[in-house]
Amino acid sequence: MIVLDVNDERVVVDTPDTTPLLWVLRDHLGLTGTKYGCGVAICGACTVHIDGESRRACVTPTGGVQGKKITTIEGLDRRGDHPLQKAWIAEQVPQCGYCQSGQLMQAAALLLAVKAPTREQIVQHMDGNLCRCGTYNRIVRAIERVVKEGSGL
Amino acid sequence: MTILKEKSRHSRRDFLAGSGATALALLADGSVAVCHGAAPQAGSVAITAWVRIAVDDTLTIKVPATEMGQGAMTALPLILAEELDADWSKVRVETVTEDAKTFGNPRLGGRLYTAGSTSVEAYFDVLRKSGAAVRRVLIYTAARHWNVSPADVMSEPGTIVERTSGRRLRFGQVAALPVLITDVPAIADADLKPRVAYRLIGADIPRLDVPAKTRGAESYGIDVRIPDMVHAAILRAPVEGEVPLSVVDDQAKALRGVLAVVRLPDAIAVVAQRWDIALAARELLNVEWTRNSPFRSADSAADLADTVEAANDMGRRGVVWVERGDQPGEAPKGGRLVEADYSTEHVYHAQLEPLAAVAQVDADGKGAEVWIGTQSQSVALEVATEVLDTVPGRIRFHFMQMGGAFGRKTLFARELLRDALLISRAMRRPVKLMWTREDDVKQGWFRPATAHKLRASLDGDGRVVAWQHRVACPSLLGFESPEALARAGGKDALVMGGTDATPYAITNVLAEHVITPRRARIAAWRGIGHGHNRFATESFVDELTVAAKSDPVSFRRLLFGENRRAQALLDKIVTMSNFGAPPQGRAHGLSVAPLKNSLAAGVAEVALDRATGVIRVHRFWAAIDVGLAVQPKNLIAQVEGGIIFGLSALLKERITILQGEVQQGNFYDYSLLRASEVPEIHVEIITSEAPPSGAGELGVPMTGAAVGNAFFALTGKRLRHMPFDPVRVKAALAG
Repeated sequence: MIVLDVNDERVVVDTPDTTPLLWVLRDHLGLTGTKYGCGVAICGACTVHIDGESRRACVTPTGGVQGKKITTIEGLDRRGDHPLQKAWIAEQVPQCGYCQSGQLMQAAALLLAVKAPTREQIVQHMDGNLCRCGTYNRIVRAIERVVKEGSGL
Repeated sequence: MTILKEKSRHSRRDFLAGSGATALALLADGSVAVCHGAAPQAGSVAITAWVRIAVDDTLTIKVPATEMGQGAMTALPLILAEELDADWSKVRVETVTEDAKTFGNPRLGGRLYTAGSTSVEAYFDVLRKSGAAVRRVLIYTAARHWNVSPADVMSEPGTIVERTSGRRLRFGQVAALPVLITDVPAIADADLKPRVAYRLIGADIPRLDVPAKTRGAESYGIDVRIPDMVHAAILRAPVEGEVPLSVVDDQAKALRGVLAVVRLPDAIAVVAQRWDIALAARELLNVEWTRNSPFRSADSAADLADTVEAANDMGRRGVVWVERGDQPGEAPKGGRLVEADYSTEHVYHAQLEPLAAVAQVDADGKGAEVWIGTQSQSVALEVATEVLDTVPGRIRFHFMQMGGAFGRKTLFARELLRDALLISRAMRRPVKLMWTREDDVKQGWFRPATAHKLRASLDGDGRVVAWQHRVACPSLLGFESPEALARAGGKDALVMGGTDATPYAITNVLAEHVITPRRARIAAWRGIGHGHNRFATESFVDELTVAAKSDPVSFRRLLFGENRRAQALLDKIVTMSNFGAPPQGRAHGLSVAPLKNSLAAGVAEVALDRATGVIRVHRFWAAIDVGLAVQPKNLIAQVEGGIIFGLSALLKERITILQGEVQQGNFYDYSLLRASEVPEIHVEIITSEAPPSGAGELGVPMTGAAVGNAFFALTGKRLRHMPFDPVRVKAALAG
């Protein structure tokens, strides 16, 4: 049994320590907003926060995150109204949308660490998250919108 | 045109009492009928409704296209809502699950099929007329209720209003009136709104799917969870055409949580309580496969060499795609012949959601409930009824959002659904079948490698008088459907699209398809034939420009002749990009790449790191003319995405095959363009009087030649083979 703190809730899961957190979130807890894209931490679709930092859930052993604060896209904002989520709508970022949970979590981690990142910092920080629909420029614009409006965090 | 009258007033009123909704439906011939219920009983009316109006004013509009990120689930209902004069805030959408007869795509053989950038173009008229017809029924019904002439009644968004008294009824109130008048004049073209009256079309209505996609709340096929569901991982034959000979599965079965190992015709599936267990158990399988498939000898490098040879073997006639003029492909007397070869390699769709489906086969094995993302409801139905040897009515589908598709989730994904059904039937339980990324790459169906031979003759004034384009490639349409190829007289639109020399006015044109043997799984891929063909043709036009001692803009202007749309597009892209005046160290390349009825032109601004051979595209401009722009900002987003899709393939992507096996496996050896590598992109729309045409693929075909032509402008060297990887770039520089 592993005890986890997911989106401010205490949950208990019956799985080996080595099970990737991604499958615990999706299959045990039903938090399917976190996506599977590659399984090898190269596409970023499974990005979540562990103690406020972005991590790839597909290569994160569940046993290793006991006692840490896990945040998924479902917990980014209680009402789904995080400044980044609003900016994503304002810029009409998503197309297929499959990578966007990961993109948003990656972006949110940046704004937790750096209050007013430059464009270069944004691009560099987001470089590990693939988007096959090609929404990259809109993602950067949406993050810049939040930075500019100072509505960050 | 027939007009159906209300058939049974009593039953309709009973229905209204029962569910609070009526349905106004458009027949295939454009007339209106009333449906007695959301899902009409057999025998009441022989149609299904496009729209339902509930007494609470909610409008439910059917969407025949499936959503893969292109925005169809917003753009299509918007067209109907425009003519209906709907209050957009009351609109709900519902994906069509069946009835191709009513809802089939007129551009794709009447099947429920979302492909080829066709949705808006194909459904524009039927949706407009449907909306207008329903509006007319509401007006006539309200007029009868008020005992006035329909001419004295008009609509405002969501409301029917009597002009003189100002009396008004909301749509829901009209639908609930005791007497519904459906005996209304049919809608003629003249009854439709003029463009100036549009308030939804062209207004950039926010996409309906975006909010959920920012909250992780959208449900894709891979996300479906149903009670009692188990998980399947699959080991498919490493080489097409091979089957399992023997399976050692003791270790796999010994793993806690593993439920079964299921043998399929060309695969072995492991079923477990959890996905991670199924995946771990799959690693423990020891399968011996047959080794006698003819595809064992497939070698993409050698096969491409054969393809290039076929394109160049001028004695080998191809299937004629276009032939016009007196001397197609011939050099006129005194003319100058220019020739060039181009080639492309296999590329993979790389949609971010790997294939996944959930199937729950009924206890008798003759029916099923299925959750799947697909580009074709019709194909899904055909597969399911064939696999279960059953009738369409026994399959209940839930068509899910797709995490990208790009041609992958068409008929080329039949094995996913087939396997999910077979595994569920064997397990007598609901099963989720998921492919890993590695499965998705190694079992991919790719845009085929192609070879192109281009020949043209220029007269003494530098005009192109004859043009020949030979494309060597397997028949994609023939692979997809031999019957469809036969119906098309052997002409393969999937391979040959974009080889008719449009938008240029050239008198003598010959385009041929030299059909080579299929050596890999091949599929349509965003842009289909235009993706590789426009790379070849627009690179070649640039070569002709040099031969004619002209410049890319003047040369094309001359070639366009009287094509005003093309001239306007060229003016636009030249102005937007300040073509030919790049910053120091960079160069511009131009490409004009129409796709079906849509026109597009692009300019790439390129720099080069000569030491590494890495091409950097700094800026990209595109001008598009899709006739009427239904959702302008979404069109721009689609073209931006298409440009990135095209550049990614051009600069980074290649699938190679050795001894029949795909050599790549994941994003570490099949790289996509990333955030730091994409150009700044500027897209502008030219509105023309033409009907709306597609844009989902429109950004792709322009990219290859734009970058290649910029590279030539920068270096004086020609890149004629995709992808433009650093090895090729350095070889070109040294050559």
